[in-house]
Amino acid sequence: MIRAARKTGLIFFPAFDWAISPDHPEREERLLYTQDQVLEEGLLDIGGIVEYRVRPAGFEDIRRVHFCVPDEAAVTTESHLISAGGCLMAADAVQKGEVESAFALVRPPGHHAMRVVHGNRGFCNINIEAIMIEYLRETYGIRKVAVVDTDCHHGDGTQDIYWHDPNTLFISIHQDGRTLYPGSGFPEEDGGPNAKGTTVNIPLPPGTGEEGFLYVLDELVMPLLQAFDPEIVINSAGQDNHFNDPITNMNFSAQGYARLNARLKPDIAVLEGGYAVENALPYVNVGIIMAMAGLDISTVKEPNYDQDYRRQRPEITNYIEQLAGGLKRRFLREAAPRTSDREGEVVERSRDIYYDTDGIHERQHEKIRACSECAGALSIASTSNRGQHILAVHIPPGACKACRDTGHRWYEQGEKGPFSHVYLQDRVNRVYRQAGGQG
Amino acid sequence: MILGLDMGGTQTDTVLVERGRVIRATKTPTGDDLLETLRTAIDHTLGDLDPGAITRLAFSTTMATNAIVQDQLEPAGMIVSAGPGMDPAWFSVGPSYHIVDGCLDHQGYEVKPLDRAALVNAVSRIREKQIRVLGLVGKFSVRNPLHELQMAEWVGDVFLHKALGHQVSGVLNFPRRITTTYLNAALYPLQQRFSEALVGILNEKALKAPRYLLKPDGGTVELGKSDALPARTAQSGPAASVMGALALDACKGTTLILDIGGTTTDMAVILEGVPLFNPHGIRLGPYQTLIRSLLTHSLGIGGDSEVRMGKNDQLKIGPLRKGRPMALGGPAPTPTDAMIALNLLDVGEKEAAVGAMATLGAPLGMNGKAVAQTVLTTMAESIAEAVEAFLYEINSQPVYTVHEVLKDTKIDPTSVLIMGGPAPQITPYVGDALELPCRVPPHHDVANAVGAAVARVTTSVTLQADTQRGTVIIPEADLEQDVSHRFGLDQALILGRQVLEEQARRMGAEHETLEVAVTEKQLFNMIRQGRITGQNIRLKMSIIPGLIPHWIRR
Ligand SMILES: [Zn+2]
Ligand SMILES: [Zn+2]
Repeated sequence: MIRAARKTGLIFFPAFDWAISPDHPEREERLLYTQDQVLEEGLLDIGGIVEYRVRPAGFEDIRRVHFCVPDEAAVTTESHLISAGGCLMAADAVQKGEVESAFALVRPPGHHAMRVVHGNRGFCNINIEAIMIEYLRETYGIRKVAVVDTDCHHGDGTQDIYWHDPNTLFISIHQDGRTLYPGSGFPEEDGGPNAKGTTVNIPLPPGTGEEGFLYVLDELVMPLLQAFDPEIVINSAGQDNHFNDPITNMNFSAQGYARLNARLKPDIAVLEGGYAVENALPYVNVGIIMAMAGLDISTVKEPNYDQDYRRQRPEITNYIEQLAGGLKRRFLREAAPRTSDREGEVVERSRDIYYDTDGIHERQHEKIRACSECAGALSIASTSNRGQHILAVHIPPGACKACRDTGHRWYEQGEKGPFSHVYLQDRVNRVYRQAGGQG
Repeated sequence: MILGLDMGGTQTDTVLVERGRVIRATKTPTGDDLLETLRTAIDHTLGDLDPGAITRLAFSTTMATNAIVQDQLEPAGMIVSAGPGMDPAWFSVGPSYHIVDGCLDHQGYEVKPLDRAALVNAVSRIREKQIRVLGLVGKFSVRNPLHELQMAEWVGDVFLHKALGHQVSGVLNFPRRITTTYLNAALYPLQQRFSEALVGILNEKALKAPRYLLKPDGGTVELGKSDALPARTAQSGPAASVMGALALDACKGTTLILDIGGTTTDMAVILEGVPLFNPHGIRLGPYQTLIRSLLTHSLGIGGDSEVRMGKNDQLKIGPLRKGRPMALGGPAPTPTDAMIALNLLDVGEKEAAVGAMATLGAPLGMNGKAVAQTVLTTMAESIAEAVEAFLYEINSQPVYTVHEVLKDTKIDPTSVLIMGGPAPQITPYVGDALELPCRVPPHHDVANAVGAAVARVTTSVTLQADTQRGTVIIPEADLEQDVSHRFGLDQALILGRQVLEEQARRMGAEHETLEVAVTEKQLFNMIRQGRITGQNIRLKMSIIPGLIPHWIRR
């Protein structure tokens, strides 16, 4: 019998009875052919590849991360809870030492879901990676986490959730936002005042191939990880960079995904997007499972690879080398020490957020206490065109006393304010509260 | 009257049954020559009975299993085609394994035609080795048998037998399809010789009634129809006891079945009269296969297992069997000796059993009776521990729909049915260890042979329709048809049933026993560019294990 070099957990939840809507791409059929390919390859018979049965996550797991408006039940379905629960299973399997690494091959995805959730953005309602990360912190006392998002779309939800967190390094490799949804993810987006440099965006040009992805992995991602020295590495393994993907313009391959995974060696990989359900996902997923298990991946490729795959053009290679050079200067060589020159001040920003799937417009006003001792107290006032006007206060894990006090003060003030709902997420005391405001 | 026979490693059980009654039961030692054992067992059981009174004969034999584990397989050549994915060289099996170019994708579309020159070359290299049987397997051949059929045609008639991968099972698993096809090829000449010889013996004894072989899925196949897929009759023993349980007990609720034999304890679960299935396929020696089987687990503890003092002064039972119990002149103490020492069983020399227990307990200063009690509680606790692991495994099976995740389908037995020789003696101990009501059926010591006697024919088919491509395929039946865009679930079910029934009749089923179960039913809208362009329908249908109408449970 063939044995895996690394013991690998597989949590497969294709949600064969769930779709966003009858002809939506996030549909029942999405992982059908992946299952066919995985079964036909016989991957589940390999010694050292262990498949787990999923269990749903609870609302308490969501509350560590999100402010759901008006509540968790309103913005999730069972399938969301099971998809998030699949990630928690992966976390448990790795942390308990049952396996060396795990792959949550689950749907629906989550990386476009931000801290405040009014509905579905980019097929995502709740951020399944963030729910897993905060579960890891709560349950296993993990502090430093790195997320490498290799979905073709900028992982703007995960970026939003970890924007102020200096203990989470978020790296997103994606197709340049000037050419693709959600239109963000530029190098200038590099983290909030308390977490400068722990958000790293690598926007690649359309047409980037195997060479380009592996180049930025070796030149940028691996050194960044080495410098940050996380306790755990998570890969948001979206698969829409594939050359067969109909809605993106990248030129990646199953072989490339497998090699990327073999070099990155994430502790946990989580499926994100990817809707070339017949001619990309089956091969990419097989490649990722084989790479995680430490099997020889040299024979991983799509049946149409030899015929249809085109190597990366030289001008794209040049562009990527220049881009990587600039990012290296910015994040590795000239990385500023993390001290705030505005210590104790409250820094504010306002922005508009659009939920494409549900057609919701949200306006946020955010306040963060600049703090060098912790991630800082955070308050978000959020208004949507569905008539919600809420205030959400987040006190991060390990918050200093000043930030804890600030957070509680904001919440108490909020209760008297003109809000439909006021939320408190006190990670220090594990207090999650929701009150109807005066509005 | 029906003759049922279950051949075990050391002992062959044979019964004559009629309408719910066991008329006669015998035990014959299993010798090295299986056919001789069969002949003796039949003679022994029939005695001077009129052979014309026998209306059915059913056998559960160890022929295929022995050939596999004792490595007596006929050398079989293998030709496979795969395309990208896991390297097919990793699944090499047999003395002459060849990979030829060619590729189908997961939907069955041909991506790369089969390399005929390479195939011809492989055939001549196999023939150079004087190999007579051949296995032909393509990846995704259950979605489209094109390449396997081409291989078969291009190979021609130069082999005694060609086994084709898509015919062994409709389940997706290329490595298991390779091993299963290999076993079917490599067992073919043996099975042919065996069934010929068995037919000879039966004819000679004027036993002309229909003859059946038991399969590990708890069903039977007519002896004459067993040659083409011989591997599917391997390791039928555990299924014989499960079917015996069904024959002798109603098995209401969730019943845990324990068959405690001389060297092993086999466990299984029956859910409202239907045994649980192994979701993957049986393991035969070193081979993972696609052969359907009941979900059973074998633990190396039985009445004749060796008992010794292990680490930390803990008694250790099994997995070795050193011989017969000491009360019967054997070399090492056994649980049977403990039963004899405790007056639970009256066989052999009691003093020898008591002495065996006393010697075992001497280092701990325990008297013989106390040790004997500890032996039986330890045995029961070891069985209970294995049962717990077995149930945990069952309840950890992954599920793939929201519905299945949320509905609690936990298997939790409500009672235990204990069979096998030592059943009456060990049952109180097992009941305490499992904290469940236990019962012992009548004829508990030959339940397996009763099971073989009265099990009906089973079979299964896998249907896949793709209305975008316009095809429906049932690989096990070599059926491939064009379908219109409007082909739906109802038509698929009708077609599946029709093919399944035909197949069951070909295997020797009687009409009234064709109880069809739909074990998997999936329908997916195929969405391309935001439009529904077709439907993907998947069905698994089977004739589930059950009893022939002749049998009336008492
Ligand atoms: Zn995406
Ligand atoms: Zn602080």
